[in-house]
Amino acid sequence: MKHASWMALTVVLASSLAAAQSALDVWHLQTTEGGKAVIQNAVNRFMKANPGVTVNVSPTPNDTYKTKLKIAFGANAAPCVFASWGGGPLYEYVKSDQVVDLTPYLQKDQTFYKRFVPAAWSAVTFDKKTYGIPAENTGIAVMLYNKALFAQYHLSPPKTWDDLLKIVATLKTHNVAALSLANKAKWPGSMYYGYLVDRIGGPDVFKNAVLRTNGGSFANPAFVKAGQMIQDLVKAGAFAQGYNGLDYDSGASRQLLYSGRAAMELMGTWELATIQNENPTFAKNVGFFAFPSVAGGKGNANDVLGTVGDNFYSIAKSCKTPDLAYKLLKALTDDQATQDRLADHRLPPVKGLTVTDPLLSQVAAFVAKAPSVQLWYDQDLAPQLGELHKDTSQALLGLTVTPQAAADQMEALAKKLAK
Amino acid sequence: MSLISKPHTAAPTRTRLHQRQDWTAAAFIAPAMVVLALFLLYPLVANFRLSFVNWNGLGNTARDVGLSNWLDLSRDAVFLRALGNNALLAVFSILIQLPLGLLLAVTLSRASRGSVALRIIYVLPLLMSSVAIGTVFRDLYDPNFGAINTALRSLHLDGLAQDWLGDPRFALASVIAVVCWQSVPFYMLLFMAGLSSMPDELREAATLDGASPRVIFWRITLPFLQGTVRTAAVLSLIGSLRYFDLVYVMTGGGPSGSSEVMATYMYRTVFSAFNIGYGAAVSSAMFLIVVVAASAALRLSRRYQTEV
Repeated sequence: MKHASWMALTVVLASSLAAAQSALDVWHLQTTEGGKAVIQNAVNRFMKANPGVTVNVSPTPNDTYKTKLKIAFGANAAPCVFASWGGGPLYEYVKSDQVVDLTPYLQKDQTFYKRFVPAAWSAVTFDKKTYGIPAENTGIAVMLYNKALFAQYHLSPPKTWDDLLKIVATLKTHNVAALSLANKAKWPGSMYYGYLVDRIGGPDVFKNAVLRTNGGSFANPAFVKAGQMIQDLVKAGAFAQGYNGLDYDSGASRQLLYSGRAAMELMGTWELATIQNENPTFAKNVGFFAFPSVAGGKGNANDVLGTVGDNFYSIAKSCKTPDLAYKLLKALTDDQATQDRLADHRLPPVKGLTVTDPLLSQVAAFVAKAPSVQLWYDQDLAPQLGELHKDTSQALLGLTVTPQAAADQMEALAKKLAK
Repeated sequence: MSLISKPHTAAPTRTRLHQRQDWTAAAFIAPAMVVLALFLLYPLVANFRLSFVNWNGLGNTARDVGLSNWLDLSRDAVFLRALGNNALLAVFSILIQLPLGLLLAVTLSRASRGSVALRIIYVLPLLMSSVAIGTVFRDLYDPNFGAINTALRSLHLDGLAQDWLGDPRFALASVIAVVCWQSVPFYMLLFMAGLSSMPDELREAATLDGASPRVIFWRITLPFLQGTVRTAAVLSLIGSLRYFDLVYVMTGGGPSGSSEVMATYMYRTVFSAFNIGYGAAVSSAMFLIVVVAASAALRLSRRYQTEV
């Protein structure tokens, strides 16, 4: 026993010393079989092309990943290459001088830089410097709906907010909830708020509030009105019962769709692939449309909320071989990996893709004609503000805070953090 | 603190033997003390020091902010509500778990056929992981498809079918119910252990004197168990103030903070909001609250001690 453990320890030490010569760690959060395979295959190709280099890949599920990454950076044990959503949380790492600025690499490598959809870079660009490579997917929030139910009650996808409220009323008379929402984790409900703010005030209202430019403020009337409209929707009985306690990760919102108890769900386009895997019969019935426009609002009805890139890959400052890590970033997003992702029902943010999947090509068309792509609020905001935004948007949906108070709370914290 | 009482003699002069024994004892205790200092005392002090800085947990960016985290905490409505929820959890835990545990222990300790099977059944919740329990009850509570509402509707009690975890009025109560379900067996075992050390002669003598089972319980069993009850109450209090797991799994502290407890708030502050200093203030405050509450409870319970 004693001998065995010493032996094991020696072997571990020896192997870690050997690996230290040129080993790269990659941490990511693609935990589906397809997602994991794409990355592992790209890594295997990279190792074949670079003999003597070992790459260790660790996939971790979403929420655990966030915690794990944070603790690793805090303990100076960061991996060379790591995935993130860009936005506010990545900016925290950047501000703490933990992430390699990729701008010099990309300036020398224009052909590579120009492969990607321009909108993809905004989530990883801070102070005109770029800190990540967009890789995995395009995920935008759309309104999924049950076509059969709509046909049954002679409904057509709503173009405006008022149309939506009419549909809510019609479905209510038939004992069907218009909207399914599983908001225990608070980010699903946040999508309503983000879209309404855009439709009411246009994309600049949020940008100015975040950057504290042009007199921007989270107490801007557009935010207050968005909160009011969410509460109107709740009071109209639009949401299926339980919406603030249901768990999205356990499929509670989809269960309501499958059973016909709810007709629509506002969710990221990854939900389409999930439904195809989970319930292929029902998937034939699913269509989607853009979030409705608001009468008198400044926002373009083609603006989208979501992410072009979904996961972005960055290099930690602590990495001893940043040039090699950059090579690996290119391998993770090369043509083969892009094709593999397409085959896995995902839409990497690369120009000139031939998309055969009808739903995916519809998503691609949405992004192509979008004048503005706003990253998810909870990912775009600095972590403290993001947390408060999630709290206040859940409270708005639960009718436990007034729209004005929610907006004021956000503004008060934004002011405090800007000091 | 020797267990064997020494004969009362004049205090002996300390012999060499004694001294050597002291050194030996110290040598045996030292490793445990080192581990305690390293893994308990040091983190505790380090955490306290963190509560006076503003830090996102990444790199050398910590800024000294003096008492501002503590001042913010004293005015933080979310924290105060969480503390109130912990207090409610403590009160209901003590009022529900202890009596139920005692009832089961007294019932099951009267040896009878089938009681072994019952014991095993009652102990089962204690053997399951909290995450699994939370997941199962989350599904039972589901307002649309869950067993609870389905049962109520089939009994035509639609008015009682509530949104158990998504309605701020019911979320905390729904979680507390599951916490009690999970914890009762622990107190049952504790009381059974206490009962097993009760001499049979006591009960036999009382029965011969014509005491009814009820009188025996109130006059003999309960006084005999008072030390155990006291321990159980303090354990329950401390556990309630530090509670985390089922709340995190079932509601995440929501909706709108209605089931937030101090530990879930601390977790969110540190790991979602990257606000390490403030999270450290929350956990340090938790520590102080637990220490004060536990020592107050011990003192109070000693005051009402009766001689057996």
